[in-house]
Amino acid sequence: MTELKADQSSCCAPQTIKLPRIFISVSACTGCGLCGELCPFGLPQPNTSEKYEIKHPELCTECSACFRNCPTQAIMMQEQKGCGCLWDARQRAKNPGSNTCCG
Amino acid sequence: MAVVYMRKLEEEPETYDSKFTALTKGVNLKVQEWVLDRIQDPQSILEVGCGTGALASKMALKGADVVAIDKNFQMINYAMKNYPAEANINLLYQIGTLTELPVENNSKDIIVSTFMLSELRPLEQQIFLRGAWNALKPNGRLILAAEFIPSGFWKLIFKIKRWWFKKKMRRLRLKSTFLVKWFFNYIEPIGFKINARKTWKHGSIQALELVKVNDGKTDVPGYYRPFSKRFKGIRSQLRIYRCLFTGQIDRVPIEPGIYQSGHPNENSPIIVTTNYEYTYIKVMRSLKGVDAWVLCVDSNGINVWCAARGNDFGNAQLLEAVDATGIHKLTKKKTLILPQLSAGGVAKPQLPKNSEKFPFKIVYGPVWSKDIPQYIKERPARKPDSMKFAKFTISHRMRAGITHTTFLLRKIFLLPLIIIAALLLALNWSNKLWWIGEIFVWIILTNAIIACLFPLSNFTRKFIVKGIFFGVLNIIVLGGISWMLHRSLFFLLWNLCFYFWIAFFSTMSFSGYTMSTSPREIQTEYRLFSQINKILLIISLIFLAFGIIFYII
Repeated sequence: MTELKADQSSCCAPQTIKLPRIFISVSACTGCGLCGELCPFGLPQPNTSEKYEIKHPELCTECSACFRNCPTQAIMMQEQKGCGCLWDARQRAKNPGSNTCCG
Repeated sequence: MAVVYMRKLEEEPETYDSKFTALTKGVNLKVQEWVLDRIQDPQSILEVGCGTGALASKMALKGADVVAIDKNFQMINYAMKNYPAEANINLLYQIGTLTELPVENNSKDIIVSTFMLSELRPLEQQIFLRGAWNALKPNGRLILAAEFIPSGFWKLIFKIKRWWFKKKMRRLRLKSTFLVKWFFNYIEPIGFKINARKTWKHGSIQALELVKVNDGKTDVPGYYRPFSKRFKGIRSQLRIYRCLFTGQIDRVPIEPGIYQSGHPNENSPIIVTTNYEYTYIKVMRSLKGVDAWVLCVDSNGINVWCAARGNDFGNAQLLEAVDATGIHKLTKKKTLILPQLSAGGVAKPQLPKNSEKFPFKIVYGPVWSKDIPQYIKERPARKPDSMKFAKFTISHRMRAGITHTTFLLRKIFLLPLIIIAALLLALNWSNKLWWIGEIFVWIILTNAIIACLFPLSNFTRKFIVKGIFFGVLNIIVLGGISWMLHRSLFFLLWNLCFYFWIAFFSTMSFSGYTMSTSPREIQTEYRLFSQINKILLIISLIFLAFGIIFYII
């Protein structure tokens, strides 16, 4: 889950809105099924109304394959640069802003 | 040699010339003289990568009509400021890239480019050569100077120097230049021949004069195709092991370009993959001689999944590969089959449509190369689950375990262990060397345990928790073995923290192999991990030292 913190200076207590890591916009999805073909974990699945839906966004690895290739841009996600490798995380922690993976 | 370092100098145009001269120990001035010597009559010249304009203005003063381009705005700006004061010279500075030279076909007598080749990737070099061929008049000349790899003994010196400067570049957080490795192969197929050649510094800096060969049959330059690489037999198997043992550290690139499986014709499918040698061999073996074109894009010798996530295999590389290899001239097929995992880098909607340079549409094939023949045969609109799921099976885990063990040994343990071994020998305790052997065994065993039992930790996605789980497991297993070997509770206790740390650390480091780790998760965990890791490492080292002092000695 991604946490978006509301402005701390506002009068009320800070609110936390929880967004799922990734979701498919129902209105934009045409049900072409490309995302289902691209996801290496088979997360987007067709639902009863012939549109695609991600039931377990917590399993997403943010590889952005579906997001990049969706013909109607129906997929919403906050893309995080980098891969799931510890050494990549180390490099990014040491040198924020770099975008070179693997060496 | 030192040309790697020019990326640093490029940041400050004011001092670039003097510093670059110092870096090459004056050779760049000799190169300029050589180039000027080869320009006799007033001719029409294009200089690509003019930098501060030092050479361009000299050529213009000699009476030539010069257009000089560079992609670096600062450099062009600086060159304009230093525009020669003499009247009646023809010199034009422009911002431009080499992929689209801003001149008409058959319009230039000479194209000059010094110290720019090493800024280009192999396919870019081919695109540049083809562009230069187009821009030159018949029998026009292309004059190049660049840093090349010398041969024999000097190669070794060159590699050491280059390694040194690359380290320096990494500290400065700059990308280093590329090694001009295969350039001489391109010259003839594209349509040039070497007319003159001069070398400096034992061949590490060379200037070449190429002449455009135009036999009158065609008015387009040729394409370069790399020799097919063997993918069967012992040698290729050894190359596979080389990739496995040095994974995560070394990039193992092969020449990007078109390769053939079987005897493809103009109706054969086109399989796209990366130029990592392991990937290439696996794909070729899986194809089992099915007739197909295999297009290796230039991903810097990185596998598909990592390259796609790290900007090494995306639309840019795909377009570049098609442009440089001219694969659209070879086949009637209008579909490229990409690996499914490249979808993390390639964006289908952003690819040009109906473009002359990219007349293809793309489809995403299976994840694993072993499914390619079935995919080609059936071309399913909906792939079966086995084709599209990235599973972390036992065979993948074993390979990950091997790669990770060698990675740990080489990057982390090799130097300390050599120092300890030297110390033991120096103190004349060679009979205590078994201790080092034991550390090796612990590292290998720990990785074997993690590789085999990784699915046991699927109850959580947090790698720190997984690390603690395997740490405890490791204490039990390795502790048991240590007890059986030494029967010393004292020694066992001093070692426990090390057992825990090595498993904790290895599990964290395994995150990259599983494919199911998200960058966000691992990046948020990293801060806590590095703190725990530091504390554990310090305690382990102190305890290990006590173990050595009290038990061994």
